[in-house]
Amino acid sequence: MAPSASSPRTAIPKQDRQASVRAYIDSTLTALVDQLSLSPAEAKPCIAIRCRATPANCTINRGSGALEAVQNVEMHRTYSWPGATAYESWKFTVIIRILAIIDQAVRTGQWVSKRDIYYIDPAYFRSQDTVDTVIDELAYTIGVDRGALNVEAAGKGLITGCFSLKRDSHVVVNAQFSSQDTLVPRIQEGDEFDISATRWVLVIEKEAVFHRLVQNNYHIKAVAGQGILITGKGYPDIRTREFIRQLVDATSNDRIPRRFYALVDGDPHGIGILSTYKYGSLAHLHDNASLNIPNLQWLGLKVSDAITTSAASGSDGLLTLTFRDRKKIVAMLRNNPVLANDGPEAEWRMELQRMLMLNIKAEIELMYDREGGLEMWIDRRMFRQE
Amino acid sequence: MSRQYLAWGSADNAHPVDIFSLAATEKQVISASGAPSLKVHSTVDADFPLVQSLDGAHALGCHHVVTDAGGTRAVSAGFAGDVKVWSCQDGYWSADAAASANLSELNVWAVALSENGQYLAGVSQDGHIGVWDLKADGAQIRDHETKGSFGTCVDLSADGQFIATGHENGAVYIFTTEHGRMPFSLSGLVKPVRAVAFSPGGKILAAAGDSKVIVLYDTSSGEQIANLSGHSAWVLSLSWSTTGEYLLSSSFDGKVKVWSIDTKTCVATHSETEKAVWSVKWLPKTARSEGFATGGANRSVAFYREATGG
Repeated sequence: MAPSASSPRTAIPKQDRQASVRAYIDSTLTALVDQLSLSPAEAKPCIAIRCRATPANCTINRGSGALEAVQNVEMHRTYSWPGATAYESWKFTVIIRILAIIDQAVRTGQWVSKRDIYYIDPAYFRSQDTVDTVIDELAYTIGVDRGALNVEAAGKGLITGCFSLKRDSHVVVNAQFSSQDTLVPRIQEGDEFDISATRWVLVIEKEAVFHRLVQNNYHIKAVAGQGILITGKGYPDIRTREFIRQLVDATSNDRIPRRFYALVDGDPHGIGILSTYKYGSLAHLHDNASLNIPNLQWLGLKVSDAITTSAASGSDGLLTLTFRDRKKIVAMLRNNPVLANDGPEAEWRMELQRMLMLNIKAEIELMYDREGGLEMWIDRRMFRQE
Repeated sequence: MSRQYLAWGSADNAHPVDIFSLAATEKQVISASGAPSLKVHSTVDADFPLVQSLDGAHALGCHHVVTDAGGTRAVSAGFAGDVKVWSCQDGYWSADAAASANLSELNVWAVALSENGQYLAGVSQDGHIGVWDLKADGAQIRDHETKGSFGTCVDLSADGQFIATGHENGAVYIFTTEHGRMPFSLSGLVKPVRAVAFSPGGKILAAAGDSKVIVLYDTSSGEQIANLSGHSAWVLSLSWSTTGEYLLSSSFDGKVKVWSIDTKTCVATHSETEKAVWSVKWLPKTARSEGFATGGANRSVAFYREATGG
């Protein structure tokens, strides 16, 4: 059995992190009870939340290769009961309710998803976003990652390939030869996973393309050897990114290096997704250093490949950029340090500029009609990137 | 009858990224690329040395640069939608801040300058065609609406009488600067048009794009005069020689062709690169020789001259 999962993302042992979560919940709830025991005139139950202001600027950390804030600006917000506004009262109760759910999860050692929490009382929470925000704020206030709260994001990523996961001596996930969809698993401390037979990991933007490759057994038949296929279904969720990063960390000292490739559409979203996997998300800068995939290689699709293929097969699979696409590209060139003129990915920047020049974009599905299909094209691309 | 053009020299790796546009004056070629600076190369000195770098001209890169005939004014358009005016004195270019400020909100994609440098024509993403008078503080003097298809290219005739635009839906329009739209539409192209160019005398308009054919139109009647076939990939750029005898074209597969207008045939093909050649330009004819410059995805500006003396 091969390398066990890498150490968790913070150096603090899990027991300590959970201890600080419990200490926080206890002291917060005790303080509230103290307040409530006072006379109504004197009582002022409140809860203080530490949160990050949206940073004005971000940069690429030279060490980790992750996008991070130039300067973290912290804000404190205090919500009290009964608040000055209806919003404040509502937010106060939302925080308390979620804190109670977390309290139970931590005490019983069970995991709860953000989605589960939202569906406990959708009318009250109003949106998934509310729940997500409060959880992130609480984790930041306590000074731990979300995992220490026993809260997980609902996974949406799928995996197939030469991968199996063992927990407490039982195989809990075996993604090999599986004809069913396997959700990207959450790897816990002490888990062992076996990817010794793999040579590569292909991260795919689209679910449909993923299914096509799975059906054709590309993870077994690839010229480059056996591998793992993963899709985050568009912009990836944290669990998918975390999982791929764990594969990177677990194999970084192996004698035979694993190659990590990305296959995305030739459009602004494709490049945005590629950037999210490799450098991190512009919206959640604080997580990036533990989720980025610095050795991810861009397989395609490039607009020039699409034009050549389209001309050869006679099919016209090229699409015109919309005004929104063009605006998005300009915003990406302007705001994402990864795509800056002196940034690390000159080819990505060029690709976006070529899209603007030609006013076209192309989807991966275009390569299905190619001679030898998408599979042979990936074979050649992987070979060329070696 | 084939003609020979010899490699004359090149500015290797003039830009770190794709070169999208070239403009030529009597003594210089200006190149624009996906990087922020514009580069000025001398065409009168051997080895085509870099004589000036206009650093930080367009933060997000530049897709079009054009000059007037006298080489006193240039206009460049960047990916951020920014348009800049440049003026030249004694071979040295500087930003014309006042003119640039007036044109900052133009919202155009392709641009063209009249021969005397007074009029700037531009076409936008939504197919609007505008003309601005640079002698009158950049006041807009014409605004033509088309069917809303992306305007990929524009040219002004040498006498400033006509504007031609090419669009993504295959449409080619000619307008007179005096009266507005011409009474006929130009047919023949159904795929995106990527280049339009008036002959020096203004009698012929050449247009080409994804249909790979170059179509020549009579500008007085709108009739097609000829179809020049030979490119096997999208045609990206067109340029007329000073005398109007030859037309230069480049395509997405790296081919550069010279066409005789007299015989309507291709007289020379260059294929030094397999990467897209985004821009080609004839150099003004001088005593030295007649030649042209090319620039594209191989990041170098290459110069060619006619083989003389048999």
